[in-house]
Amino acid sequence: MKHSQPKLAILCLEDEPAVLDAVVRDLAPFEELFLIEPVESVNDARQVMEALREKRIPLALALCDHLLPGITGTEFLVELNHSDATKSTRKVLITAQAGLTDTIQAVNEGSLNHFIAKPWQPSELQKVVRDQLTSYLLATKANPLPYLALLDAQRLLEAMQQQNMTTDS
Amino acid sequence: MKRLITAAAGLVLLIIPLFLPLEGLSPAGRITCGLFLFAAVYWMFAPIPIYATSVTVILFQLALLSNASPLVEFFGFPYASADAPSADKFTGTLAHPILILFLGGFMLAAGAQKYHLEKNLVRVFLSPCKSPQLLLSGVLGVCALLSAFMSNTATTAMMFAVLIPVLAALEIDDPLRISLALAVPIGANIGGIITPIGTPPNAVALGALAEQGIRVSFASWMVIGAPLALVSLVFVTIVLLKMFPPKAKKIELNMTGSFDSSAKAVMLYVVAGLTIVLWATESVHEIPSSVVAFLPIALLPALGIIGTNEIRGISWEVLWLVAGGISLGYSLKDSGLATWMIGLVNWTSLGNTGVILGFLLLSVIMANFLSHTVTTSLLVPIAISLGTSGVLAGPSSLAVIAIGIAIASSYGMSLPISTPPNAIAIASGAVETPQMAKVGLVMAVFGLVVIGGLAIFLWPLLLK
Repeated sequence: MKHSQPKLAILCLEDEPAVLDAVVRDLAPFEELFLIEPVESVNDARQVMEALREKRIPLALALCDHLLPGITGTEFLVELNHSDATKSTRKVLITAQAGLTDTIQAVNEGSLNHFIAKPWQPSELQKVVRDQLTSYLLATKANPLPYLALLDAQRLLEAMQQQNMTTDS
Repeated sequence: MKRLITAAAGLVLLIIPLFLPLEGLSPAGRITCGLFLFAAVYWMFAPIPIYATSVTVILFQLALLSNASPLVEFFGFPYASADAPSADKFTGTLAHPILILFLGGFMLAAGAQKYHLEKNLVRVFLSPCKSPQLLLSGVLGVCALLSAFMSNTATTAMMFAVLIPVLAALEIDDPLRISLALAVPIGANIGGIITPIGTPPNAVALGALAEQGIRVSFASWMVIGAPLALVSLVFVTIVLLKMFPPKAKKIELNMTGSFDSSAKAVMLYVVAGLTIVLWATESVHEIPSSVVAFLPIALLPALGIIGTNEIRGISWEVLWLVAGGISLGYSLKDSGLATWMIGLVNWTSLGNTGVILGFLLLSVIMANFLSHTVTTSLLVPIAISLGTSGVLAGPSSLAVIAIGIAIASSYGMSLPISTPPNAIAIASGAVETPQMAKVGLVMAVFGLVVIGGLAIFLWPLLLK
């Protein structure tokens, strides 16, 4: 099936280029339907998000490293959570170093949805991303049909039936 | 851009007939002609949602063609106010008895969904299906059975959710994956013809017939629809097995669960059972099916079986869509437009058979590209006018042609855009459009031949 421009974006924030490459590589299955935006710093991330806002492409998922120059991943997630445009964005922390206080802050103030410990297995990351993107679609009540084959079809279909999202015409 | 153009074109077509030299057509007929063209363009190209077009049609009727219209009141145009139909006629279509019948069906479906009755029925039906052949026919059968009472789309979504683990467990190149993914929408589409409440086009046909004073009972519809559905299901099982011979030898189904036995669920079973029995036995007690529909409408909320959440979740827009179709059909006849249009063609040269087959063919073709309800809404009023003008022979011909068109529309299922169930099947990734188109075409031809044969030879006897 041919697809037009992706309508949703995924942000990957990681300051080590090699690790960022690994994240992007593992996200390859999602490229077909999601715009994947790899960034190495929070400043780049803010620019990318501004550009997405202008293009009216909502940010569905943010994958964030914890230890970043100048700001922690947790603080960045809190920032996302306080902006209307990214409030419903699903938030995932990928880290080896976050301590208990940071984790608590990420959960309580950043609405952290999932925590991935480094090093990760590609299949594990893909499963988390799949689940989170599915949750995003369900929460925003977007039309799930284009995403059935890629994401968690069972959850999407059950919601479609339960909420009468499409009807006979 | 395309949206703006179609939106503008529809509005231009709305007023054009007022200025054309359409000889012998009354001013009211001209307005209705414009309204019909407007509705056709808006329904076909959908610059606004099709249900929105339906209620807009009713708005235009109120504003231009009813006794509440300022034009009628101050200028006596297009009718003298004494001749103008009452505004209640148009607003009342939203509560047409056929829509009340549908609402009853929606309430039952909402209840069934809340207590997982449909999933348990699927489990009971499919658990004995250990071979690919049995599973395929089981899926077709249970989809048809459920969609006879629930929406075809909800049936499809639920069934795919159940089948996804089964599809995943099959080898990726097993053709059974394709045939199962096709069996769900086909079964759901076909199941829609079994009962009057199976799918919205049925309501349009029944509504138009009711306006002619012809009441088709729940049971007489089933006598027509059920055998046809059964034959179609057997046929499509054979076609799918031949086209996509399964590789798997055994099927592992891990479906667990049990029927909800809470007091409320049991009350739901009782109300649903009672309603369906009363619907099926109308000829014995003569209580109209729309009256019986008030049992679930009143009892399910009264007994606390469903609440405000479920009531808000009902597809009200489907009822609006159908109401617009019924309302437009009413004006077509009332304004004299239908009679005038029929005078343009020498129908008698086509003969009874030719007219019926022509409409069935049109219905199947249009339904492949358009919403089935829209197809039926556009064709049934014209066909019915033919019947009342004496072109069609026999008193039962009105019912035959209206029901024929509605049922034929359910056989328009060769493309992903034909029906929402087809769109879900394609989106699942288990089947591709060319495969769907091939089977869909076979079904369209089969449907046409069988419906045509029955409509000409058998139905006139059944619908007397």
